[in-house]
Parts: sequence; structure tokens; C-alpha cells
Amino acid sequence: MNDLNDNDMEVFVEAINNYFTQTTQDSAHIRAAYLGEGALPIYDFTGAIKVTGDFLGTIYFSAPNIMLRHLLTIMKENDQSHDNLLDAVGEIANTLSGNVRKYFGETLKISLPIKMDSTSIKLDKLARQRPYVISIKWKHYVSSLIVDVTKH
Amino acid sequence: MKILIVDDSNIIRNRVARVIEQPILSNFKVVGIATNGIEAIKVYSQTKADIVTMDLTMPEMDGVECTAALVGMNPDIKILIVSALSDKATAINALKNGAQGFLYKPFTDNELADALLEIAQ
Repeated sequence: MNDLNDNDMEVFVEAINNYFTQTTQDSAHIRAAYLGEGALPIYDFTGAIKVTGDFLGTIYFSAPNIMLRHLLTIMKENDQSHDNLLDAVGEIANTLSGNVRKYFGETLKISLPIKMDSTSIKLDKLARQRPYVISIKWKHYVSSLIVDVTKH
Repeated sequence: MKILIVDDSNIIRNRVARVIEQPILSNFKVVGIATNGIEAIKVYSQTKADIVTMDLTMPEMDGVECTAALVGMNPDIKILIVSALSDKATAINALKNGAQGFLYKPFTDNELADALLEIAQ
């Protein structure tokens, strides 16, 4: 097993930038990218994508309720129910994970999104001792992408 | 043009439907929605849509399998894949199974409208 490296992580940063620019016409900023230790930055809603194939682990996207509502408003989505907020965070996790296959290829197999709120959040046993954490600022909201993936 | 929207995400289904309401797509009408491949085949049987917007990663039956099944039912059906899976092999596989176009998520409203106009030609 090998850890992803800094170049690999650039691909995730590119996917994040592309997502916010395409979806909201407003760019996101990377506040910090670091190896997480201890409590990971988890917000109100979290989408998790399990990764298999030539890779192993989970990719999490986590965001606060108010940020997801703002995103849905920009997307002209009036239904801001709990179910739709879960749907949104799962779709973002799926989109970011799917987009990085442009670089990693189809051997990075991704699952359907697992959607969790703060009452149901359950992180998998970590594949890495210290997963990559990318802290994202979009408008004045902070969210996170946690990349807990190793490759064979 | 009758459109069938297939995606397991409610917000994506709604977004595609809103784009299709734009005046530039006045000849397009949503006749059905489905949340997975199996449901899509049932809805297609009832609606005989001309164009399908098709997600790939879905429960029950994925988009490639569903595309192949729909093309088997109607070789003239036009299928636009709308997916986040951005690797070349996935796009080639979808096209080999009968899809006519591929639009990557995330997309802008204009990109979706252009893709629908192009596939309708």
C-alpha cells in the first residue's frame, strides 16, 4: 500500500475549484490542506464515497447546513428539506470523487454516496493513520474534503 | 422532443427539468423521471421518450446497463450521459453501449442546454 502524494492531492483541489466555479460561478478557496490528526473537521451533513479497485478507503465531503442551503438557492432549488440537503452533500461527494478519475483512471472504483447528518455520522475505520484534509472556503462558509485513500 | 430524466439525485433531476423549461428548449418536454436503471426502463416503456439524460452511478441498475437495454428496445433512442465519472474509459464504454453524448458533472445550465440541442439534431 502506498499513500497518495501531494501531486495526487492537487487533483482533488482542482476538482473542488471546478465544482464551485461551474455550479455557482464563484470560486472556492483552499484555506488549508494538511494531514489530519485527532478529531476531523465534520459539519452538519457529510457525504461519503467508498473507494475500491486499485485504491482503498473513503472520500468524505462535509458541509454546514447553511452552506448547502445557499448552494441549493443558487441552483434555483426551492426544496431545502432535510432529504434534499442530504442529497446535495452526497451529490457533491460523488461529483468530486468521480471527477478525479480523469487523473486516477477507472481503476479508482467509487460507491454510491452514503449520506449522513450530525445524528447519524459514522466515519469508517481510517485507511490511513493521518488522512488528507482539505479545508474549503466558499463565500464565508467553511467545508471539508477528507481523503482517506491508499493505493495498491 | 420527449425527454426522460434518469438520475438518483433529486436535485439533479430537478435541475435538468428546470433547464428544459428554458425558452431555447421550447421544443423539449419532460415526459418522465426515474431514479435508477430499472425504473427508467419501465418509464420508457410508458412514455417512449425521444431523448434520455442518463446518470451512470445509480442503485439497482447503472447507467451503462440501462443505456444498452434502452437501445435494445429502440435503436433510434438518443441518450445523453450526464455523469461525474471523468475518465476516458467510462466515456468510451458508454458510447460503445449506445449513448450518443456525454456531459460531465458539474455542468452549467448552458452546457446542458447545448448538449441537448446537439443530441436532438
